[in-house]
Amino acid sequence: MPPLFPPAFRERLHALIGQRAGFRGAPDARQRARRSVLSQSGTFVGHRPYEHGDDLRRIDWSAYARTGQLYVKQLEQEQRRTAALLLDLTASLHAGEPPRRVPLLRGAAVVGGFALAQLDGLTVLAPGAGALAERTFTGVAAVPELLAHLTALPVAAAGVGDAVGMLLQRGLPGRVHWFSDFAVPSACERPLHALRRRGAVVTGWLPELPADRAPQPTGYLRVTDPETGEELTLPVDEAFVAELRRQLALLAARQDRLFAQAGARLVRWRAPALDDHSAAAFAVFAARCEP
Amino acid sequence: MTLAEPWRLLALLVVPVLWWLSLPSRPQTAVLTPHLQQWQLALAALRRRPPRWSRWRFLLLALAAAFAALAFAGPRAAGEPGSSRLVVVLDASASMAARGPDGRTAWARATDALRTTLPTVPADVEVTLLRAGGPLLRRHGASARALHDLGDPAGAIDADLATLAADAGRQPGVAVWTLTDGQGGRALPAAGARTVLRATGSNAAVLAVRLVDRWPLPALDLEVDVAAFVDASAIAALRVSGAIAAPSERTVELAPSTVRTEAFAVERLAAGGELSVRLELPGDVLAGDDVWRVELPPLPAPRIAVLADAEAGPFAAVAAEALAAEVGGGVVAAAGDQAVGVLLVEGGAIDLAPGAARAVTFGARLRGAAEAAAWPTPVVADWDRQGALTNGLDLSELRLQRAWRGVLPAGEAFLWADDAGVRTPLAVVAASAGGVASVHFAFRLQDGNLPLLAAFPQLLRRAFVRSYGEGAAPRVRSEPPPAGERDLRVAAAGDDVALPPFATPERDLAPWCVLLALAALALRAFVR
Repeated sequence: MPPLFPPAFRERLHALIGQRAGFRGAPDARQRARRSVLSQSGTFVGHRPYEHGDDLRRIDWSAYARTGQLYVKQLEQEQRRTAALLLDLTASLHAGEPPRRVPLLRGAAVVGGFALAQLDGLTVLAPGAGALAERTFTGVAAVPELLAHLTALPVAAAGVGDAVGMLLQRGLPGRVHWFSDFAVPSACERPLHALRRRGAVVTGWLPELPADRAPQPTGYLRVTDPETGEELTLPVDEAFVAELRRQLALLAARQDRLFAQAGARLVRWRAPALDDHSAAAFAVFAARCEP
Repeated sequence: MTLAEPWRLLALLVVPVLWWLSLPSRPQTAVLTPHLQQWQLALAALRRRPPRWSRWRFLLLALAAAFAALAFAGPRAAGEPGSSRLVVVLDASASMAARGPDGRTAWARATDALRTTLPTVPADVEVTLLRAGGPLLRRHGASARALHDLGDPAGAIDADLATLAADAGRQPGVAVWTLTDGQGGRALPAAGARTVLRATGSNAAVLAVRLVDRWPLPALDLEVDVAAFVDASAIAALRVSGAIAAPSERTVELAPSTVRTEAFAVERLAAGGELSVRLELPGDVLAGDDVWRVELPPLPAPRIAVLADAEAGPFAAVAAEALAAEVGGGVVAAAGDQAVGVLLVEGGAIDLAPGAARAVTFGARLRGAAEAAAWPTPVVADWDRQGALTNGLDLSELRLQRAWRGVLPAGEAFLWADDAGVRTPLAVVAASAGGVASVHFAFRLQDGNLPLLAAFPQLLRRAFVRSYGEGAAPRVRSEPPPAGERDLRVAAAGDDVALPPFATPERDLAPWCVLLALAALALRAFVR
């Protein structure tokens, strides 16, 4: 594994943080949860279908009178603004050249740096990372600490459902930046909807590798899923490459559809080379972190 | 199961090699991807299967190899114990032609039993069929199973069936099956299987016929011996018919087991043909010994030619006349282009090969003979007392004034002179392979008193008959019934004994192993 955050990257990160302003966070969910028991104030941001367990006082009866369906009002309280980074640490991120884990964690560092610089706090959730599974940072001065934390994160086998469960258990829904390869969209569907129901604003971050569009080598290959260890040995010819390209395109479409149906965004960016720390390589964060 | 070549099981060592060969090749390039599901979906969309090592496919391949190796080692399944050879002793004596209560002969029933049973004998059992009685026949293998050319029952049993069966059955692995009617006065075989074909009853038989043939004259005298093997006296009809001018029949009363002789004097037809003597007795179970047959040759119409030298006297002509009167012929001139029945030659020389033509020569020199030397007053020493020419004739009064040495060809002498203590032929018969014979005397008729002897006409007639050789002899077509095959009233008693079980051979399991190997390979084609 190459060094995650070399000095060149750190310089680029500080530069990005200095240029970036107006990063949108979310009210501290724990405070909102406590306050929501007392009052129903806040800025109305939309409706969502009623789910079992929702507070009955939040049901929009006018909407029910119009549509016959139960909806709850989603309110955004402008209190303590925080963000959460939900990191996928599974072994599948070791696939690719360079490994997808590198651009993914660098992207998380950039987004986290933005949050530390402009919000009240940042929570990093790394399911399966044991003692490092949850960590909160405050202030831009904590950026080096954030980078060290990200560097120390191990490879974990915990699923997305566990991470989201942990997130909801802590009452942290708000603005959630979910960094993953989203290789199995169906596994992300329930967690994504659960976050959405709890009022979280989710942004998916997916670093794209060249192999996500078409297999690079051809010939007689042994293909291994690093997460499950499952192997497949097969000859790869042009017809297979074409079909695999079609299947990968379908996968990308499914990922996009998944986030769209959950009212979230999915941001793809082309993973830069390991030693590419140019401004263009990270322009996507400056552009897409601002809604 | 046993293996003919167990060391060939070393071929099983090929199984590890097959295992190694069955392993899919290892790819040179490894790829890590989180999108393995998409790779699998692409494979499925293209209807492809990844090459992989299948345990079941290898097991089936190993199974096929194992079966092939087993087949290579020559597997055999043990057979059932039992007899591996069958010797059938078939009584084919004359009595087997007797009819049983069902009207069928014992022979027919025996052959039917063989035709029914032999196909059930396992194919690997070697079958030998011995026909006992009449001409001995041996049949082996397929010929025995098909009962090829067994002939008809005839003659007597030369061998004791019980001894024959016991000897054959003494050999290990040999089963003996005897089929007999129990006739012949001997006990049934105790060894092996047996089938007794009962055919008892009355029997009448023509035991013998003595024939006095007066060929070339038509007169024929027969003495017929007949007998009936019955419990009480019986009336039978005895008929003589066939190539005779007037068939003769008479009724005879036959006492039990007593031989009766009947004489018949008949005139034969000039054309010759078969003459039969038939004895008919109601209830006779054996028809084969009721008939006696003889083939009579046609009678000649002899023309007798005479050649005599200039010094010959009247004896040659007189002899020809006497012979013509004896055989009912005539005397013709000896012309070169005229076929004659016999040629009488008196003295001189003649271009005649001995035995090539029917001739009687007296003191004549034949073609190629040495110069004749006179032999004065030879003394007749003896003549053949048993031969057909001189049997019963009295030649003791024969006196010769002169004979000739060197005129006789090689042949069978029947008259000799005492030449200084040495018996020297005076007459010979020269016969050829075709049956024609010529009779040669070393003296002329005029040099002795032979024409004056009472035996002379008979000698001439016999010389005439002899010159015709076997063409003048009647041919008897019937054999006298064997003594033990005549009386069919009582047969040896005994029950049938079934055949023992036969051995089944070792079975070669190699074809089955090959089949199983192919089945395993075929099944493997359907396993992924």
